[in-house]
Amino acid sequence: MTLVLDHIAVSVPDGPDTLTILRDADLAVGAGEVVGLTGASGSGKSTLLAVAGLLRRPDEGRVVIDGTDASSLGRRARTALRGSAVGLVFQSATLFPALTAIEQLELVAHVNGRLDAGARARAAELLDAVGLGHRRRARPAQLSGGERQRVGIARALMNEPAVVLADEPTAALDDERGREAMAILASEAARRDVATLIVTHNPDQLPAGTRRVHLHDGQVVDAAAVLG
Amino acid sequence: MFLALRDLRFGRARFVLVGTVIGLVALLTTLLSGLATGLVDDGISGLRGLPLTHLALQPGAESSFSRSTLRPANLEPWTEADGVEAAPLGVSFFNAKTEDGETLDLAVFGTTPDSFLAPNATARGALAGEPGIVVSEELRGQGVEVGDELTIVGPDQTLPVLGFTYTGSYGHVDIAFTSLEEWQHLVYGDDADGRFSAVALRGGDAEVRAAADRAAGTATETKAHAYAGSPGYSAETATMTLIRVFLLAISALVVGAFFTVWTIQRTRQIGLLKALGASNGYVLRDSLGQLAIVLVAATAAGAGAAVAVGQLVGDEVPFSLQAGPVATSAVVLVVLGLAGSLVAVRKVTSVDPVIALGAEH
Repeated sequence: MTLVLDHIAVSVPDGPDTLTILRDADLAVGAGEVVGLTGASGSGKSTLLAVAGLLRRPDEGRVVIDGTDASSLGRRARTALRGSAVGLVFQSATLFPALTAIEQLELVAHVNGRLDAGARARAAELLDAVGLGHRRRARPAQLSGGERQRVGIARALMNEPAVVLADEPTAALDDERGREAMAILASEAARRDVATLIVTHNPDQLPAGTRRVHLHDGQVVDAAAVLG
Repeated sequence: MFLALRDLRFGRARFVLVGTVIGLVALLTTLLSGLATGLVDDGISGLRGLPLTHLALQPGAESSFSRSTLRPANLEPWTEADGVEAAPLGVSFFNAKTEDGETLDLAVFGTTPDSFLAPNATARGALAGEPGIVVSEELRGQGVEVGDELTIVGPDQTLPVLGFTYTGSYGHVDIAFTSLEEWQHLVYGDDADGRFSAVALRGGDAEVRAAADRAAGTATETKAHAYAGSPGYSAETATMTLIRVFLLAISALVVGAFFTVWTIQRTRQIGLLKALGASNGYVLRDSLGQLAIVLVAATAAGAGAAVAVGQLVGDEVPFSLQAGPVATSAVVLVVLGLAGSLVAVRKVTSVDPVIALGAEH
């Protein structure tokens, strides 16, 4: 499996008490597989995603990405692993206002020390793949919400990641644009053999064939078993 | 600095604004540097131009020629000291009147014709011949010419102008040289008793000087230390230094405040950058590089404008811009600006990349 979350536990202080967000959460996503994660608001979906994306250390459990156990890694090594093996898609397609669409992608290569002719070509190819080849020089303010999210998806794929994690990528889009973004995300992930985990409030937008899991009481369960 | 350079282009209005503030501070700092150097020149350039390394004064004179009176007995041990060149030096301020009735202020230096202070045959000849006076080149610009008669007010002694020496002043007054004998006559009349202000010294090692100092009953100090004896010198330099320090501190605070606010505004962007795999080092290089570009460009522009303004300053204002002090002032401004941003640097490194994911934490 490309992404393995093994017995993840996360708790946070809640006044004088402790609030358990995740307990014994297990999840495995294979290469090219797309998994949709649902759950009630505040159930810990984004926390699980943060743990999977090495943005947050779990209190217990292991995170294995593309064969590397991140649990024992220091901060720098975790940052480097995130940069090289993880692609992130955010809720509102957080883009840098000063950068054009293609520069949003080139920045990822620059951060990872690999901005060369090959990276520039890849950035152009990814924008073509998400249907924005003609909008390369546009800045975020000149793009629609759907276009911005497609740039965000292309950016997540820029570093040829083993894992893509999407945090409610359609939350800021209308239904049609949301389905479109989901379809692009799923098809590009499958085409590029990337393990993809999509957190969503709207499972209807998930492409057909997507494995669906649900976060319930701090644990990841088969969505069908809970939701029917 | 992939992001920094593009941010600079994109947010140029914001950066031009803070750059203007920094540039104005650099302009003021450089102008003050010019004024400070000009004042220093006006205060001590006459003494600085003398080829001496030390001065022996009367103990307790505190670098002031007017408080120091020495006699030939104080000079003798110095003339016998190995490796030390010594010459009596008299220094006094006088008013003089030109033939046209114009009043001049003069700091008159008196020394002997065989003194090492008279650097060439012309100077020695002028000091050895008939009584006369050699004045600062500066006075040529005020219409004084060789052969003019200057009347020294007080003793009412008339002396012909024998020539011009280097441009210099002491205590903000143009310098002039005459023989020690004539100087003594101007100051003490016929009752000089061999008195003079100080012993000018050159060379010799510290031990020899210390021994001669004890034997002569004098207090020796370096030339640079003796600058403090120039009237108003210490107060002027202290005032200028204080103003420059305040300006630099204000600049550091302005830059620090701007960078802190700018960093706070960018917190989510910084978090996103880290979430994309950027290390703290990468983010810091990007942020500080951006600030350094603004600082250096604005400081260079401000200092350049000050140099241009300096060209317009007339002779009435003591103003002198030299590459060294201007460069030092600019470098200090940049370094302090960067130091002022340290609070923001801490903020940059403490941003948690998890904030890029939004609210559910």
